[in-house]
Amino acid sequence: MNALRIFSRLNHFLARLLQGVLIAVFVILVFVVLWGVGSRYIIGDQASWTEELARLLMVWLALLGAALVCREEKHLGLDAIYRLWVPEVQRLARLLIFAVIFLFAGGIMAMGGAQLVVERFASGQQLPALGISKGWFYMALPVSGVLTAAFMLESFWAILIRAETGAERQKGEGIA
Amino acid sequence: MSQELLIMLVCFLALLCLRLPIAFVLGSVTVVTAYALGYGNVPLNVASNLANGIDSFALLAIPFFILAGELMGRGGLASRLIELATVVVGRLPGGLAMVNTLTCMLFGAISGSAVAAVSSVGGTLIPEMKRKGYDGDFSSALTATAATTGLLIPPSNVMIVYALVAGNVSVAALFVAGIVPGIFIGLGLMLVAYLVCVLRGYGRECDAVETERPSFGQAFLGALPSLLLVVIVLGGILGGVFTATEASAIAVLWAFLLGVVFYRMIALTELPGIVLGAARTTAIVLFLVASSYAMSRLLTQEQVPQQLSEMLLSLSDNPLIILLIINLTLLAVGVFMDMTPAVLIFTPIFLPIAISLGIDPVHFGIIMIANLSIGLLTPPVGTCLFVSAGVGNSDIVRVSRAMLPFYLVMILALLVITYFAPLSMFLPKLLAN
Repeated sequence: MNALRIFSRLNHFLARLLQGVLIAVFVILVFVVLWGVGSRYIIGDQASWTEELARLLMVWLALLGAALVCREEKHLGLDAIYRLWVPEVQRLARLLIFAVIFLFAGGIMAMGGAQLVVERFASGQQLPALGISKGWFYMALPVSGVLTAAFMLESFWAILIRAETGAERQKGEGIA
Repeated sequence: MSQELLIMLVCFLALLCLRLPIAFVLGSVTVVTAYALGYGNVPLNVASNLANGIDSFALLAIPFFILAGELMGRGGLASRLIELATVVVGRLPGGLAMVNTLTCMLFGAISGSAVAAVSSVGGTLIPEMKRKGYDGDFSSALTATAATTGLLIPPSNVMIVYALVAGNVSVAALFVAGIVPGIFIGLGLMLVAYLVCVLRGYGRECDAVETERPSFGQAFLGALPSLLLVVIVLGGILGGVFTATEASAIAVLWAFLLGVVFYRMIALTELPGIVLGAARTTAIVLFLVASSYAMSRLLTQEQVPQQLSEMLLSLSDNPLIILLIINLTLLAVGVFMDMTPAVLIFTPIFLPIAISLGIDPVHFGIIMIANLSIGLLTPPVGTCLFVSAGVGNSDIVRVSRAMLPFYLVMILALLVITYFAPLSMFLPKLLAN
């Protein structure tokens, strides 16, 4: 119980940090693309790094954001069938989905992503306009994977010992 | 081969029923199938597909339109659009119903979110309609249905998602193609709402007009800056001044200036929360795009789309019938699945079939969006239906019943959009020449 509380507090801190990073990345992203258009019309020559940097930032925004959304349980899922079940089955289903996300985030995003990053740093492949390794682009995968895995471990643990705060999952909005 | 695909399908359905988020359903099913098929180095390859699937400048328009939409929504967009709609259609019989429909169309188009249109416009107009004697369920049903037209009237995020998975489809062409079908559905809804109002005697006397009404000029000037967003985006893209992505960034700047500087509806302290909200929605959508890209790479490698299309084409080679089958399938999908995952999963499967039948990918995109819009209005996962029932203090069953005439309009409109291509294709063809 105590260990879980400490782990929760750590995750809470990480989530807050993540929120700050997401806001900063999003704002920078807007300025980068605006500068891309602006430079084309004001200076007459588009700064070539803007598009590359924008794509790099977007990948980080999407993957880091996905980790935060996992903790808040706001990813789009199919509610209709889940709602038909008795609470005990729902509890088991939640344990199972946290485990699946944990495995995917840990095994694929964190470990597969880390392999990819190491490979790209070793190969010397670069983002041409920025002049940095392509590894920085893929680095978002292991970072997001580790965070997601940590968040899922917390959720799994909390449900396992039934210490969850009872905050029901809210449905994400999507773009419809 | 087909055995592995069966494993894939069973895993897919089982995980969906457990309410595993669809993005992770796609990702984990891809991993399991890749292992079953004996692919090498699965973690690294799936991970790299996740990142590569969202490494696209065109896709950047999605976060920006989401952010611009949030800023516009908080910046008092609804009230100004309601004023404009009131001076335009408020005097007709059933005036408030007309105002509601028109406002939802405009709001949905500008904010790019049908759900936001339902909550903002419905939040103001449904109570107002009830107060004036309109049936509450009717009001909620109309709001929900009218809001979905905003997905066809540009700018539209779903179209960007579609353009990305379809490949080689221009976002600009899709935007232009959606204008007429979106307005067409809106007019159809107004017509039916008008008939219902006349039959039931709602709003017999200029009910939308109560106290001092702004003149047309005042209302128009008030709403003009908001409407200009659509003009800047569409004009800029079509005039070749900037790309769709750049237009979306300019839309953010415009929405920021309107909300924070001109109208001063948004305090600076609210901005981080607004940006974070947009970041969440962005992550939900883009992570879905990423994992569906990983899955569709696998499906393409295994030639699944080709096999499905041969199967379907062996049933019939009549485009009318194939389109009917596709439409019925998508309607069934839409009942259970949200629009974005449905577009991501089914475009790679159905689009090649449509193309082989000589259907333009732009036209097919409009068909898909019009079709899946209906799914937003049906239980058990109709997001627009849920929100409108919530805003109207009603329940889903009663609102769905009140929605019957509007379902009919949507189905008829879908048939017209499907089988009468010029409705969608006339404008893009005109501009291409």
